[in-house]
Amino acid sequence: MARISTMACMLALAVSLAGCGEDYPDRDTNTRFVALHARVRHLDPAIVNDTTSASVAGNIFDRLYQYKYLVRPAELQPGIAAAMPEVSDDGLVYTIRLREDVFFHDDACFPDGKGRQVVAQDFVYSWKRIADVTNASPNYSFIEGRIKGFDEFRKYTHERSDAGEPIDYATPVAGLEALDDHTLQITLTAPWPSILYAIEHLPFTPMPREAVEHYGKRIINVAVGTGPYKLERWDQGSRIVLVRNENYRHDPYPSEGEPGDKEKGLLADAGKPMPFIDRVEFEIIEEDQPYWLTFDKGLIDSAGIPKDTFSNVVGAGQKLKPKWAKRGIELIIYDYPATEWLAFNMKDPVVGKNLALRQAISLAIDREDFIELFRNGRGTPAVGPTHPMISGGNDYLHSPYHRYDVEAAKAKLKEAEAFHGGPLPELAFTMGGTDTSARQYAEWVERSVEKIGLDVKIDLMDWPTQQEQVDNAALQFWRYGWHADYADPENYMFLYYSPNHAPGPNSTNYANPEFDKLFERFVTTPHGPQRTALHHQMEQLVVDDMPAVFTMYSIAYVLRHPWLENYKPHPIMWGTLKYQKVNVAKRWEMLTGKTLEE
Amino acid sequence: MWAYILRRLLYTPLIVFGVLLVTFVLFKLVPGNPARIIAGPGASESTIKEIEAQIGLDKPRWINVDGAREQGFGALFDSQFFRHMWDTPRFEFGDSVYKKKAVSEILYKGAGPSLKLTVPMFIALLATSISISLGITMLRGTVWDLLIVIACVIGMSIPFLAVILFGQDWFAGKLDWFPIRGYDTGFAGVRYYVLPVILGVFAGLGSDVRFYRTVMLDEAKADYIRTAYAKGVGTGRVLFRHLLKNAMIAVITRVVLAIPFLFLGSLLLERFFSIPGLGFLMVESISSRDYNVIAALTYIVALLFIFGQLMTDICYALVDPRISLK
Repeated sequence: MARISTMACMLALAVSLAGCGEDYPDRDTNTRFVALHARVRHLDPAIVNDTTSASVAGNIFDRLYQYKYLVRPAELQPGIAAAMPEVSDDGLVYTIRLREDVFFHDDACFPDGKGRQVVAQDFVYSWKRIADVTNASPNYSFIEGRIKGFDEFRKYTHERSDAGEPIDYATPVAGLEALDDHTLQITLTAPWPSILYAIEHLPFTPMPREAVEHYGKRIINVAVGTGPYKLERWDQGSRIVLVRNENYRHDPYPSEGEPGDKEKGLLADAGKPMPFIDRVEFEIIEEDQPYWLTFDKGLIDSAGIPKDTFSNVVGAGQKLKPKWAKRGIELIIYDYPATEWLAFNMKDPVVGKNLALRQAISLAIDREDFIELFRNGRGTPAVGPTHPMISGGNDYLHSPYHRYDVEAAKAKLKEAEAFHGGPLPELAFTMGGTDTSARQYAEWVERSVEKIGLDVKIDLMDWPTQQEQVDNAALQFWRYGWHADYADPENYMFLYYSPNHAPGPNSTNYANPEFDKLFERFVTTPHGPQRTALHHQMEQLVVDDMPAVFTMYSIAYVLRHPWLENYKPHPIMWGTLKYQKVNVAKRWEMLTGKTLEE
Repeated sequence: MWAYILRRLLYTPLIVFGVLLVTFVLFKLVPGNPARIIAGPGASESTIKEIEAQIGLDKPRWINVDGAREQGFGALFDSQFFRHMWDTPRFEFGDSVYKKKAVSEILYKGAGPSLKLTVPMFIALLATSISISLGITMLRGTVWDLLIVIACVIGMSIPFLAVILFGQDWFAGKLDWFPIRGYDTGFAGVRYYVLPVILGVFAGLGSDVRFYRTVMLDEAKADYIRTAYAKGVGTGRVLFRHLLKNAMIAVITRVVLAIPFLFLGSLLLERFFSIPGLGFLMVESISSRDYNVIAALTYIVALLFIFGQLMTDICYALVDPRISLK
């Protein structure tokens, strides 16, 4: 009996130490709580290239142009730029006027700690940092070969680095010039109409030279930007806290949206100064169960739906189940510009040469089944590489082999065998992953293909190993995918341009001179019907030649608690927190049953 | 004894050399290019090459023959291998190529949260399992003994992941007794550690109690225990003054060998309870081919392990007069 009492006392002590579960700290303040599913690696825009870091940094650093928050398909508007650029008739020179009311965050790197005005020279300096090899920026590919003199500057930094000499940032770059404090001029090597999408990216934000010099190597842990929020605290691997930038220029909330936005209340704050939220707390929650429990308790304001929880939350007709709907939680479904496919190595002597074989495999893939089994229905069957939200639909494609038809697949396989000159050897399918879901996926592909009489050997390997084999063109066929970096089909088409072959982004080593010619015309053609027609032709060539079996276009499902307002997830844009609003009184009442006054 | 300790210490550089060599060879055998991982899937070949150069992968793997030809004999050792063998033993771990931070900073920041989890868990598990084992010794052959053994076997059969999933969902999610997850420094952070420590102790009890029970029962059969009882010594005194002291050899062996690994944290508990420790660091570093971090972790654990073994030997001599270190 005494022992039982002791144990009970110990449990009571443990519970009292833990403070009896959640007490909703700070949920009565104007704070937005966000969960991140991975750790933030660094916040230096020159080197950020992961989505988690970008989702935080996007709220700290402004760019010249930004996407319109509510408008779909995604459309750009001026950010730090005063207006859309003036473009020369030959499409080579972009002159960009900067706003004069943009200031860096107050920071110890500035005299008196007061953030100074942003000038054109800040862009010249920041973009040079991307080219500087000593920064090992993964983002140089965005502008490689595009801006006059940049490749030469990169070469210069390489030589200085090898010689152990410091890099002189005063070294001019012919194609990037600050005409005056508020005018930036970019001169391209060839017309590049997608440049504005590229420079909307985080690496092209202005970084104050003072901060880089003041913090040295620590610059990756600090963030001195011009955005609506500034970094207050970063507990590595645990939490990041941003606070409102009091010097922010307070742009008005947009008044332009999609049909239906007004009815959802998304235009109620049109014209009001942003940001609305004082403080943002990012909690790093890497596992699905705590992520979901945290949302369920109302400790974060919005969340995705983990795979294992999906059927408990979403019911028939992709509607929220009553248990959740009753709490006022809203399910938001939107197109997410990621496409998945099974890639073929076009250099492989078996699959690369045999179009009928690739067509047979495509016909053997039941895309609907795949989407239901592996994505809980969160996708649509793909017929080509470009996600329809980027191309505005894909009706232009004739894609007779992107359907499920076992009999047709068997007939195609006979053609493939005839082309091969006898029975086909066992194929090797590679998955970049070794966990249960990767194995299930690979087994599903194996079963699909074996149904038509093809033997398949599964090879599971971790992502770096797979990537090295892809780079060495050593694989036969494997699972792959792409999430658009920007809202332009170019960002899909460059994956099939032959000079980009592995280890470049054209991982299938697809090479079609006709495609290459079209692509070279496409990238220099201004946006308009002619460019669209070129894109359609290129995409049709890819679908016909089938260097990949396209399986799924992604759709995202997100939940929000009723107290989170002005919330409309953007598929591409980083840094949407300034538009959002938290109804603090409603949150406090729903979580604790008390009013704020109590 | 001092000669023995000195001799063991003199072996240390050789063992460390072996560990560093094996770590390097193993890592270089594993395919996967860290520069490619940093660059991301859309990167151009030239970007990948530049990153390789910046993280030292453009250097020859073993010896730099070309460098020696051009710059003299000294450049022969300007290679990945010699850089590793020279820098790592001096605790010059360089930067994490994936996180772009000094490895020493990553380890320094992660070790605290990990140790705050693993040390209390380790102590609580040790105290609980030894107490239960001593208790069982008194109950040997009774139905309680049988029930506890069955409970231990069941406990050992339940995967740690299942314990965490159930514990977090039930005690934090449904009963609301504990925070779901979280981390804070100082006393404010203690509340976040309570549930993971309880779950860690619970998950480890099965195997530890089984082990210590066997050790205790072996000792309980010894003549000196029977003699002690025959002399009329009380049960408590027999258990704590005689039995436990003689069972310490096995306890020390198990305990000291476990101590170095406390530094590495607990992968699952840290992930599920958002503790920013080192538990996930090894896994993440292997998957991102972050060699500097792997080398640092391996080296530190190897040193702790060598030190732990030396301490074990010294403790043997202290607790058992029959053992002398020569």
